[in-house]
Amino acid sequence: MQDSRQLRRNANMNYLRRYWTLYLLLALPVAFIIIFRYFPMAYILSAFKVNNILKAPWELPWAKNHGFEWFIKAFQNRDFLFALRNTVTLNLLDLLLGFPAPILLALLLNELTFKRFKRVTQTIVYLPHFLSWIIISGLALRLLAFNDGLVNIVLQRIGLDPIPFLNSPGHWVGSYVFLGIWKEAGWNTIIYLAAITSINPELYEAAAVDGANRLRRIWHVTLPGLRPTIIVLLIMSLGRILGSEFDRPFALSNRLVTSVSNVISIFVYEYGIKGMQFSLSNAVGLFQSVIGLFFLIGANSLAKRYGERGIW
Amino acid sequence: MKRTLTVLLLLAMLLSTGLSAVFAEDAEIVDGKFTTTRKITVEIYDRANEGGTKPEDNFYTDFIKEGMLRDHNVEVTFVPVPRWTEVDVLNNLLAAGDAPDICVTYSYPTIQTYAEMGGVTDLAPLLEQYKDQLPNLWELLGDDNIYWNRDPEKGTLWAIEALLFVNKRINTFVREDWLKKLNLEEPRTLEEFEAMLISFRNNAELLLGADAEKMIPYATSFDVGWRNDHLITSFVPEDLSDRDTYVRGFDDRHMLYPNYKEGVRVLNKWYNDGLIWKDFPVYPAGDSTEDNLLKAGYVGAFIHNWDYPYRNGEDSIHANIQRAYGPEAGFIAVEPFPNDAGIYRKFLAAPIDRKVFFPATNTEPVASLFYLDFISKLENRRFLQIGEEGVTHEVLENGAIKTLAVQGEKIMNSLNNIDYTITINGLDTGNPDVNVLSVAQGYDKVDARYIEKAYELSSKDARYGKNFSVGLIEAEVGMNTSLNNKRDTFLTQSIVAPVDQFDAVYDSGMDDYLSSGGQAIIDEREAAYDKYY
Repeated sequence: MQDSRQLRRNANMNYLRRYWTLYLLLALPVAFIIIFRYFPMAYILSAFKVNNILKAPWELPWAKNHGFEWFIKAFQNRDFLFALRNTVTLNLLDLLLGFPAPILLALLLNELTFKRFKRVTQTIVYLPHFLSWIIISGLALRLLAFNDGLVNIVLQRIGLDPIPFLNSPGHWVGSYVFLGIWKEAGWNTIIYLAAITSINPELYEAAAVDGANRLRRIWHVTLPGLRPTIIVLLIMSLGRILGSEFDRPFALSNRLVTSVSNVISIFVYEYGIKGMQFSLSNAVGLFQSVIGLFFLIGANSLAKRYGERGIW
Repeated sequence: MKRTLTVLLLLAMLLSTGLSAVFAEDAEIVDGKFTTTRKITVEIYDRANEGGTKPEDNFYTDFIKEGMLRDHNVEVTFVPVPRWTEVDVLNNLLAAGDAPDICVTYSYPTIQTYAEMGGVTDLAPLLEQYKDQLPNLWELLGDDNIYWNRDPEKGTLWAIEALLFVNKRINTFVREDWLKKLNLEEPRTLEEFEAMLISFRNNAELLLGADAEKMIPYATSFDVGWRNDHLITSFVPEDLSDRDTYVRGFDDRHMLYPNYKEGVRVLNKWYNDGLIWKDFPVYPAGDSTEDNLLKAGYVGAFIHNWDYPYRNGEDSIHANIQRAYGPEAGFIAVEPFPNDAGIYRKFLAAPIDRKVFFPATNTEPVASLFYLDFISKLENRRFLQIGEEGVTHEVLENGAIKTLAVQGEKIMNSLNNIDYTITINGLDTGNPDVNVLSVAQGYDKVDARYIEKAYELSSKDARYGKNFSVGLIEAEVGMNTSLNNKRDTFLTQSIVAPVDQFDAVYDSGMDDYLSSGGQAIIDEREAAYDKYY
């Protein structure tokens, strides 16, 4: 007994002596996460309290209605309910149209045989990812404005009616989703292309020998090979169904379409940050996170039930 | 472990009591001068101008530092805060307890929020005690501005109001050369103004030649209330009571004033008649598209800040138009919108400007008050506003001060060093006649007659905002941004609506505004007004 314990301790010591530098390397990112991701969580408390930035969260008095004052306030606010609706709608559309886009694009890129052309195309489709939404909204205005936008000028010159891309709520949603796909689809292909390279080429050869044409090979080899990656990314994007970007809707929006463009992050900005009601915005943020967590767990267990690996 | 902690705590306590004993020592002041040197920090706006000097360390800060040390034995350190994000940065500084001893902001709600949390020094007892030693502050601001924000119940005072010395707001501008070309008089009524716009539209070929299709008779922006104020508020009845200006005065664009809707209806009609820039709703704040259209000379009329076409020297709208269309071209201020009593009434703000306050972390409130007094002394603020003769200004024959553009260490980072003269906004030479002449000289390459007219019309027949000291209106807290956005949104939407849907769009927008907090504010203001007046 004594000996084996001694032995185990020695083994542990040896292990530490050999790898302590790696642990040291790890210490910094762990410290970062603890300090900037976990410590601030103490301020979740302020979602249930009367806010006062000059005091620590545990010193604050509880808010009215057993601490749920801010949640009640949010749900009584019509703007919040609209924001909730818009967030869900825009995110669902993004999921429906934006999620398959990079998969399709990756499949197309993968089928290109002329390597140099493939590489150039890849670089070009990545580029928009590096533009900020502010720049893209500027481009969108120059291109899509109802009267002065380039696209509409062209349409009018060839005798068509101009299209209110940014002026009518319906069209705006379309422009919003389209611009999102245009910006991110290329970048998001990276992970799929990487997954495709790990598919065993013998499978393609075998399929070819069996007489499968290109489409059949994509359907029966490439896509099944991508399935685990697709599932993981799908689960993660379901976790963000209530999350909302700020800069994209904020930059693209204008006064004519606020009925569909005001999302939760904009609500938080207007009431919470600008109006300095930090507890309210904290409550909304907490609500978003909790729902997001439910979706994440739900999607994960669903994936597992159907025999996939899930994300944990 | 426990013992070391206890020892440390004890030490910290001892230290802090010792330190506070030092601070608590009564201010020894002889002839307005401290016997021992005091140190204060002062917020200064940083505009990050190209070619400018460091806002916290330059010729003018040296003037202040030397003066404060000489007159009051107070050492001043400046803390730069970015001008355009001042509220956010100030929030951070206040929350961290790092705010300068003297803070300045345009946002009273920010001060109020921190005051409620106990983060701001109450100035009332200090001012009472040291009033005799602050003659210059009182001479400049008077009881009105100093006690503007005093709480009527508790008597607390969280901030004093700087003086808005040149109280101008907006003007209605039209292209003077177009009027001449079309043989039109300056419009004096709404009908004449509308006829003028129609005439611009119908004569686009004559006025713009090959660019005829770019003609925009009237330009505006999503900030409908600001950019059409003269037109819309001419529909507000002249007999509007003071009570109503307060009760319906939460919205600084006057949107809650009676009969406002009829003014917006005119814009709706114009929009549908093709008289207004079609794409105005989609461009956000700060976008330069409209400015470029103005500079290109495609726009016939617009309403904007009182001196807007003349600002920015070589790059002003005026200079651009003159380069492209000759010396006759230019915008001139006009007065086309009389109200129901035939008066060209302008609603102007109260003469208040930035708000100066001391955070609770200020341990030198008396030295800080001396600073405000120093900065308010005519001799000192005059030097800060116009600088040295022959370097930053020259005195013309009629006595007017003409500012000179300088490079290098004596450059002013803001017009008349407004960022240093935190108790006054607007050039004050000490002589009212010289002031008007000097303002007109402040615009490079613009004939003085344009400026003089704009200066006069902007505040002619003005009705100034009054101070109604009723304390905090709870319903207003945190509502500014969301309600302002609602206002801009529904006003914009009702302008672009088809004429037959105008009422529906406007009314539902107004309902939404009122039910989202607008009505609660009106009700609470009503109750507060009736309680105190």
